[in-house]
Amino acid sequence: MKTFEEKWTAWLDGELHGEELVAFEASLPDKAAAEAEKRGALKLGDLLKTQLQNRAMGNEEFFNHQLRERIEKETETAAPRERTGTPRALWPISRLAWVGATALAVFSICTFFVMREKAPTDQSQYLTQILNARVDPAMSPNATISMFESKEDKVTVLWVEGLQFLPAEYATK
Amino acid sequence: MVWSGLVMANNVEHPDEIPAELSGIESKLKRWFGYNQFKVIGQSQKKLVTGSEDWLASSKYFSLHVDSKGETDAGYLLNLKLFQEKSVLLETEAKLSKSCPFVIKGPPVGDGLLILVLIVQ
Repeated sequence: MKTFEEKWTAWLDGELHGEELVAFEASLPDKAAAEAEKRGALKLGDLLKTQLQNRAMGNEEFFNHQLRERIEKETETAAPRERTGTPRALWPISRLAWVGATALAVFSICTFFVMREKAPTDQSQYLTQILNARVDPAMSPNATISMFESKEDKVTVLWVEGLQFLPAEYATK
Repeated sequence: MVWSGLVMANNVEHPDEIPAELSGIESKLKRWFGYNQFKVIGQSQKKLVTGSEDWLASSKYFSLHVDSKGETDAGYLLNLKLFQEKSVLLETEAKLSKSCPFVIKGPPVGDGLLILVLIVQ
């Protein structure tokens, strides 16, 4: 069964006949407006048909000449490559040498920095090492011990915090 | 040769010149402890022959007993005891490197601080 839109399109195109045409026109609420719309649609269709026809090319000889020239030029530029048969070298020898030298230089620099980073670790054996430390808990119950091995300063510090405060006379020689 | 010293650190307006034994670590002492004057109140300079020797650096109230357990290429294995009069305040064992002084932050004394220093000379 056709929808109203399908019937409307068919009516505009003049494809409804007989009982179907009578029934459809009877179902239109405003037949005069529908007729006006149909006329407008037909008019627009005629207008489009006349305007969209293929335009005749006025200078077709000139266009053909241009096209031929362009094709010939492109054929000429492509031909030498095909004639030689050897593909263009991706990396010329000189460039390859430069890239190799650069890679070697980068590798050397990286190696230098890695070795330099490693060196201080090897020097750790030349720092004083604290093996253990303790304070008498009876005399200094709140004392804490920290150990610092400063590679930069080349000094090892045993930092004891919380020892009992002593009066100034203890500084006597 | 191992130099061991009991050093009093404090801040004064006109600090005395630092003792010669500490001149090599003057900037480090100032930076680490924040004092501008360092005075030696007790010291000992021991030339190690066998590597297994002991000695004492003393002031009136403190003494540092150093017991060397042996010598290696890197330095000396030492056992240290800080006495306050007859009581052991602190005890530690360390491998003293020939190229790295050993500094110990001791108790606060008056307006300053007692510091223990061991240097291989």
